[in-house]
Amino acid sequence: MWTKVLSYIPDWKTFMQAGLVLLIPLIINFGYNKISSLVSNKNNPAKKTTAGDTTAPEEPLSGEYERDLEFLKKTIGTSSDVHFREFQITGLNVRACLVFVDGMQTVDFLNTHVMQVLMREADPQLREQGRALNTPEFTAHLKEKILPLIDITEVTEKLELTQSILKGFTALLLDGMPHALLVGLPNGKTRAIAEPTSEALLRGSRIGFTEVLSENTAMLRMQGKSENLEMKKYVVGSLLKKNLVIAYFKDIVNPELLHEVEDRITKIDIDFIAESGYVEQLIEDNPLSPFQQVQNTERPDRVINALLEGRVAILVEGTPFALIVPVTFSMLLQSPEDYFERWMPGSLLRTLRFFASFLALMAPALYISFISFHPGLIPTELAITIIEARQGVPFPSLIEVLILEISIEILREAGLRLPKPIGPAMGIVGGLIIGEAAVQAGIVSPFLVIVVAVTAISSFSIPMYSAGIALRVLRFVGMLFAATLGMFGTILFFLLICSHISKLKSFGVPYITPFSPFRLQDFKDLFVRAPLTLMKRRPEMMKTGNRRRRS
Amino acid sequence: MFKRSMRRCCLLIAAMALISGCWSSKEIEDLSMYAGLALDVGDPTPLERELERKGATYDKKNQITATIQIVPAHSSSSNQGDSSTKGKVPEFLNTTETGDSLFEIMRTYSTRRERAVIGHHLKTIVVSNRLLQKRGIDSIMDFVLRDNDIRPSCVVFVTEGRALDTFAKNASGTVPAQQLRDFLRNRFRTNRIMEGVNLTRLDALMRTRQSFVLQNVVAAKGELELSGAGVIKGASGKWIGSLSQTDVESISWIRGDGGGGAIKTYDWRGEPIVYEIESMKSKQKAKITGDDISFHVEIKSEGRFIENWDIREDPSKPKYMEKAEQLFEERLNAMLREFMRKIQTQYKVEVAGFGESLRIQSPKTWKKVKDRWDEVFSEVPVTFDIDLHITDFGSSTK
Repeated sequence: MWTKVLSYIPDWKTFMQAGLVLLIPLIINFGYNKISSLVSNKNNPAKKTTAGDTTAPEEPLSGEYERDLEFLKKTIGTSSDVHFREFQITGLNVRACLVFVDGMQTVDFLNTHVMQVLMREADPQLREQGRALNTPEFTAHLKEKILPLIDITEVTEKLELTQSILKGFTALLLDGMPHALLVGLPNGKTRAIAEPTSEALLRGSRIGFTEVLSENTAMLRMQGKSENLEMKKYVVGSLLKKNLVIAYFKDIVNPELLHEVEDRITKIDIDFIAESGYVEQLIEDNPLSPFQQVQNTERPDRVINALLEGRVAILVEGTPFALIVPVTFSMLLQSPEDYFERWMPGSLLRTLRFFASFLALMAPALYISFISFHPGLIPTELAITIIEARQGVPFPSLIEVLILEISIEILREAGLRLPKPIGPAMGIVGGLIIGEAAVQAGIVSPFLVIVVAVTAISSFSIPMYSAGIALRVLRFVGMLFAATLGMFGTILFFLLICSHISKLKSFGVPYITPFSPFRLQDFKDLFVRAPLTLMKRRPEMMKTGNRRRRS
Repeated sequence: MFKRSMRRCCLLIAAMALISGCWSSKEIEDLSMYAGLALDVGDPTPLERELERKGATYDKKNQITATIQIVPAHSSSSNQGDSSTKGKVPEFLNTTETGDSLFEIMRTYSTRRERAVIGHHLKTIVVSNRLLQKRGIDSIMDFVLRDNDIRPSCVVFVTEGRALDTFAKNASGTVPAQQLRDFLRNRFRTNRIMEGVNLTRLDALMRTRQSFVLQNVVAAKGELELSGAGVIKGASGKWIGSLSQTDVESISWIRGDGGGGAIKTYDWRGEPIVYEIESMKSKQKAKITGDDISFHVEIKSEGRFIENWDIREDPSKPKYMEKAEQLFEERLNAMLREFMRKIQTQYKVEVAGFGESLRIQSPKTWKKVKDRWDEVFSEVPVTFDIDLHITDFGSSTK
């Protein structure tokens, strides 16, 4: 009996294979955890830094003109762009000084409304007031009767004063007055509001965010009046401080989501936020994923639509790119135009985009697996043509595809960097000549040129530029899979991506949410864009406070 | 310490991925496809004889000669970049090998052609009647049905003569194997073309041991024509004779599956008149009384009076039309009688689908007779009821 049992026990080879099957996933999992713990943010203790909050101990101004001026000259006066304009107020026979940073205010304004008033016109009035400069009455008099300005602030702390000056305010110091006055608002040079270049639309508003935070928030307000649109200000950056605003509808947004966003933003610990991309990378869920988990946009209408769906927007000073969280996969393939056009063309375009993104991801991989592994799957006539066309090609299909794909990627990158008038010309010249010459030289087959061109065009049709980059990266991975295992590998690759994005979450919302977890309600805005009359409810996935879109 | 082992691990994984390389990848340009397969009785070609004389041979009895039609023919890159040759029909290359096993022959091709042949794109198989007389179709087709690469959509033909000749170069420059398959698309024009028998159907027909017909191919001076059919006897799987083009038409009338075609007859002055078939329908009714089986076939057709050489008659006259209808019906009846005579008394096989109708209409009777259906059928009386209707006489009265 034992011999019979023994004969069914597999040999060491089977055991070895079984062991490998167990080990390989474990090793991959271990390695992944190791790397992700290296990459991901160390859990910082929450550190609340709001607008007025400063870490330095508060130190009041001395009130003595000489000492304060000396202090300012010592701290910020060493910079060449900080100007000190000292003058005499003749009526009072008092020395005064305007401190400002060059280029951040209108000189005309200061000349006519501050200098002129103080030096000449205000003489008699000031004389009446007498010399009680250190009384609050004098300040009130100055504010109410003399200086024709909307915005005058008193500053008593040293640090606040220096920072305000650096921000662009003009400070007025008077001999004998215990505090400084901020006259003149910062008025740094900004650019005009322009059409968003990265997200151009045929139909829809032509307005795009600018680099000024207040203008951006104003643009959001201008979309429509609502007392429920709430904005909260944060200061980020430890060395160079910048304002950051999160915007949301307080009756729509899910409070848990809002809390999560606030929590992550307060945890940001970096010396300088150069662009909203820094914020994006510091608050995202999975830094190892090729897919973006935060959407960036230049369009106020896109932001406001996202807010109405219950999402949260993050605006950062100094960049026209606002961030929207959480993001789901379907959002990357949507364009505001889908909603502006009627529902049928909108749906058609949207399904086209799904198809195009599939092509952009898989076309070269499919080409490789057909050419190198499954000649039987190509229609006979086409197979004959391909064989004849590929007769002179010295490389296997993977190398062939890599040559052309890489040169296309280089071309694309080069086209971005070139000055505007040369860019398109370069693209055409490069594309046409390299393609044609490569075929002539027999390095690649003409059929491949079609495949690569289709792939490139498809990837251009993705409305989000950063989503397109993710697919471009993954395309190369897919090609390697296809070259190793053919169609089997291509399908494996697709499944791998699917399992990755079904695990991925953006601020607690599953990345491919209408598919998994399955939410039938949200399919109305996925492949097709249902008529507006049918979209009565906000997306279920957002778990919003106010579910109905109608009053 | 840990870092080093980690690095080693990464290196190992990278090496694994690199060493494995492209598993089982075969570039398409290193392969060639055979679009056609012609099977003949073992008879080495002069070239083969010469090769054999010089020692290129192995242990074999020369039972079968197989010719494959390889597309595309070019193996060098000489025509690269020459745009004038692009878009032209691909050329082909025939390679003939003789041996005992079809599979062995397939592998022997690799010793004669630098690019391995793959069977995915096999379109047509032509079998010579002499081979089918010697060996049953089951054994000949065994490899083709067993092979994983060959698609079941591949169509089988027979030819009287050497199958190899049907693959000869022709004036039009098309690939004969593809041309043969494309002929089948013309069924909507004439009912002399049978529905193609692909490997799936062939398998079913062979397994049920029923007699069947395969479209016959005739080749002359590189031109091909589909003409008539070869009859395969179910019991033996061997070729026993052929049917004419009109017999093939008769089969389509009895089955009612023709797409178009014509009936030509002569009127009382001996002038040709022609009926264009627009639609045909047939009903085979099996009548069973005791052990006796009989069939009644109702044929209904609508068509057009399309050609008339008798200028003294006026087709717009209903009376003439009625007469013409009768003439056509007579002609069709004669055709069918001739066909029935052939299959019932000459070949003693049943190939027109009567067995199928019996199986559906009276499964019990069919069970009793199916093993000796061919013999039973040769005694079965078949009556016809033909109803041709001329709908119009075209756009000319004269």
